[in-house]
Amino acid sequence: MNKVIDVKDLCKTYVVNKKQNNVLRNVSFSINEGEMVAIMGPSGSGKSTLLYTVSGMDRMTAGEVTFNNRNMSKLSEDEMSSVRLDEMGFIFQQMYMMKSLSILDNIILPAVKSKKNKEDRRSIVTRGRSLMKKLGIEDTADNDINEVSGGQLQRACICRSMINNPKVIFADEPTGALNRTSSDEVMTELVKLNKEGTTIMLVTHDVKVAAKCTRVLYIVDGNIQGEKQLGTYDNSSELRERERELNGWLMEMGW
Amino acid sequence: MFFRMLKKDLSRKKTMNIILVIFVLLSAMFASSSMNNMISVYGGIDHFFEKAGLSDYVMITIVNNGEDRSGEEIKKASSVKECKKEEIIYYSAVNLFKDGEKYTVFENPGVAISISDAKLKYFDKNNKAVKNVEKGHIYLAGILADPEKTTIGDSITLEFDNVKLDLVIDGYIKDAFLGSQFIGNPRMLMNDEDYETLIADEAIRDHSTGSIYYINTDDMKGLKKDLSEVKNALFSVPKSTVRITYMLDMITAGILLIVSIFLILIAFAMLSFTIRFTLSEDFREIGVMKAIGLKNRSIRMLYMVKYLFISVIGATIGYFAGVPFGKMMLASVSDRVLLESDNSTLVGILSSLAVVLMILAFCYSCTRSINKTSPIDAVHNAETGERYHKRSVLSLSKSRLSGDCFMAVNDVLSKPKQYMSMIITFTLCLLLVMMLANTANTLMSDKLLFFFGTTKSDVYYSSTDKIMEVMGSRSDDAMAKIIEEMETELKENGMPGKVHCELQYKIPTTYKDTKLLANMQHCPDTKAADYGCYLEGEIPEYENEIAMTPQLLGELGAKVGDKVTMNIDGEDKEFIITATQVSMNQMGSIGRFHEDLKLDASGASSAMAFQIDFDDHPNEEVIEERIERLKKIFDSDKIYNVTDYVDVSTGSAQTIAFAKNMVLIISLMIAALITILMERSFISRETTEIALMKAIGFKSGSISAQHTLRFLTVAIISYIVAAVLSIPVTKLVSDRIFAIMGAIAGIEYEIKPLEVFVLYPAILAATAVFFAYITSLYARTIHADSMGNIE
Repeated sequence: MNKVIDVKDLCKTYVVNKKQNNVLRNVSFSINEGEMVAIMGPSGSGKSTLLYTVSGMDRMTAGEVTFNNRNMSKLSEDEMSSVRLDEMGFIFQQMYMMKSLSILDNIILPAVKSKKNKEDRRSIVTRGRSLMKKLGIEDTADNDINEVSGGQLQRACICRSMINNPKVIFADEPTGALNRTSSDEVMTELVKLNKEGTTIMLVTHDVKVAAKCTRVLYIVDGNIQGEKQLGTYDNSSELRERERELNGWLMEMGW
Repeated sequence: MFFRMLKKDLSRKKTMNIILVIFVLLSAMFASSSMNNMISVYGGIDHFFEKAGLSDYVMITIVNNGEDRSGEEIKKASSVKECKKEEIIYYSAVNLFKDGEKYTVFENPGVAISISDAKLKYFDKNNKAVKNVEKGHIYLAGILADPEKTTIGDSITLEFDNVKLDLVIDGYIKDAFLGSQFIGNPRMLMNDEDYETLIADEAIRDHSTGSIYYINTDDMKGLKKDLSEVKNALFSVPKSTVRITYMLDMITAGILLIVSIFLILIAFAMLSFTIRFTLSEDFREIGVMKAIGLKNRSIRMLYMVKYLFISVIGATIGYFAGVPFGKMMLASVSDRVLLESDNSTLVGILSSLAVVLMILAFCYSCTRSINKTSPIDAVHNAETGERYHKRSVLSLSKSRLSGDCFMAVNDVLSKPKQYMSMIITFTLCLLLVMMLANTANTLMSDKLLFFFGTTKSDVYYSSTDKIMEVMGSRSDDAMAKIIEEMETELKENGMPGKVHCELQYKIPTTYKDTKLLANMQHCPDTKAADYGCYLEGEIPEYENEIAMTPQLLGELGAKVGDKVTMNIDGEDKEFIITATQVSMNQMGSIGRFHEDLKLDASGASSAMAFQIDFDDHPNEEVIEERIERLKKIFDSDKIYNVTDYVDVSTGSAQTIAFAKNMVLIISLMIAALITILMERSFISRETTEIALMKAIGFKSGSISAQHTLRFLTVAIISYIVAAVLSIPVTKLVSDRIFAIMGAIAGIEYEIKPLEVFVLYPAILAATAVFFAYITSLYARTIHADSMGNIE
């Protein structure tokens, strides 16, 4: 398996009121192509910081992150933007979208902006619509963002993260703002995408969400305390067993 | 608590608050200085007239063939209550030398008087009446009291054919009658002995002298009738007309007032934007305040205290800044006019106070939306932001625009309210500049030529001494001789052409029981039909037909189709008024004879320039070259092409052009400030969206481009609106300026498309784009992680 993300001795320090706050301390791990990795840990442990630093949205203080064979610490701000646009997809807890654009326009925006993408506007729109159809929200294409439910909006965010066929999708608590039904719908789609070959790294507090991933990393005080290989699953009965297993492991880790 | 919250708000939105203070400051500065200016000029002129002792009616006469019977005729008139007379000597620019060289240039004949014969009071720069002029010294007034034309302390020579005097310029005086920019006859105040030296010369006494009569009356209509018999009057006007000659000073003050009104409107637009923006940002806090029981009035008071603070600071600084600014704007007026004792403090304070009150009233009405919101609405809206009110107008999927361009245009079109204040401001700024540019360009274009009762010629040669020669001569063919000499000279110099000159006459005119001295224009070498200045009726076709301006018709009480009796060379003749015309000569009170009428040129009261039409119809380049040659041949600088001649004749183009440049600079400042204010607000409001764009891979440059393009879009929309409105607005405002000068209708504006529709909009757009881009760089401080819930 190819390593798509390789993190070595990653450190991130914030200085607040002249006081150093070491959020990440020599974190090392790697993610292989096709994996779906959940980052778990107590509040304030550095889960989101890890996600944002690995994805290049935030600068690391020390260490090395290799993304798709590229050393992220050596990239300029603009080069990093290009990597995020063309090779990464992002899903956030809050379903942030451009207020003045329709759902479809929000989804195709990264493709329109991408210089790598040589498709004409019509092809981009067709692809956007087919992604929406795949995620079951094709009827909302021309709606404004205030005209759809939270679950639909988050699925639109998934479509947007997929529009440039990214290598990896980074998701920060993608179901955190959703009810259980919507949460299940969104996770079903993410698992489906992963099974189709998209690598996913997500942050979550939810055991049910993490249980659907192939691997779980547990982080405490900026250090990875443990790692749990879950592998893939085929049916929901298997899923319940994985949840139980994961819960037990988390208890062991001090969850 | 209020002050704690106020302090926090002021420091949190520093840039926005500073810009608001600047707008209030500018509004107060312009309001106080322009109000003071208007009051000073309007009230000041009457005060000046009173202090100077200007009478109800003034008449300038010229000695004709060594005789001046005007005094006797005035004395006979029963309507004259009181009459004072100043003896004058006419001189022109060709009579003034310095070190053997010509000293300065001015168009019309100047008048020299002796200080002991002065019947008006003339004031020096310290507003002290000049009572004594030393021998060998002079004081200058009117258009010569201009540091660009003459220098105090210069020793100059006043030289006529047989006599010359060396004189030192002691200073400039304020002359109530001949002191305005609009009157081209500069006065010279000299010592009695010097005056006597000049008058002792027979040639001067017989051909270059005259009188100014200051007449008081209780019966103006009767006076006009009585004075209509005075044949050698060059210029006769009631005090009300002299007052109008100061209108140019009022135009500048008026333009300043318009600018200040525009600034106040812009300040309102900015306030409206800022208040809406602040309220939408503070909805959660408002909701909480309501929820814990604060009354609407208390919440509104919080905002009112803030805007009171901002407007008081701005208005106070504006008031103090307005004092030197107002003085600077008044400087040119106070050089000519004896203004009343300084009341600028009170006017300034009242104007600044009015600005504060207007702003507070506006703020109070803007904060009404607080009343309409329930605590739950407020809290709910705070959570959801305003996104629930947005609607995309364009569709990226259907658009051909690039991503950045689409985002910018769509944002402007989707949120018209948000951009409305900026569109209004840019449109107002552009309209003001376009309107003033159109007016200034018209005042400098040949489109006004007909309004001076002049036809188009290749060259215009303004020669006061030649005209004076004709008017003071005993010969009725003096004009023909001068024209012949000029034509011969042209031929000898290889540029043969025809010469003619427009003359004005003061003709005693009677209609029913109204009798007055009507100003009539005549030229035997052109046709009445050549002048494109007629409003209605038929252009005069026969020698007994005339055209008159509505102003002159009004004075006579006549209309088109009526017959008037005119006394020409002692003989009463009947003329039919066949048309009305527009003219800027004699403040619009003038008529025109048919070319076939025979008139003695020596009886003319004034003349326009000698007009030269070359036989070979040369192009503009050749004309310019010939003008330079003619300046040497005729030893005169007063030789112009058609546009320069109109510019010199109107005399106000520079004033309007100055106002236009000032307004342009102010507009650019406003555009810059508004752009900074709004872009800063946009960045602060759109932090999440900017972070989102960065997170999904937009580069900082792309975000700057989007934001900058929004301002360009606004500038383009404003430009379209301003371009559509520019001509109607120009007509609406500038027609009044032209009407003051006499042209009450029919003005065809000189529109320079490149300047008005390309240059100024481009400068404004470039300013907006530049400042938008610079301010948008602040978005670089927002990082992709700003939107995440980083622990």
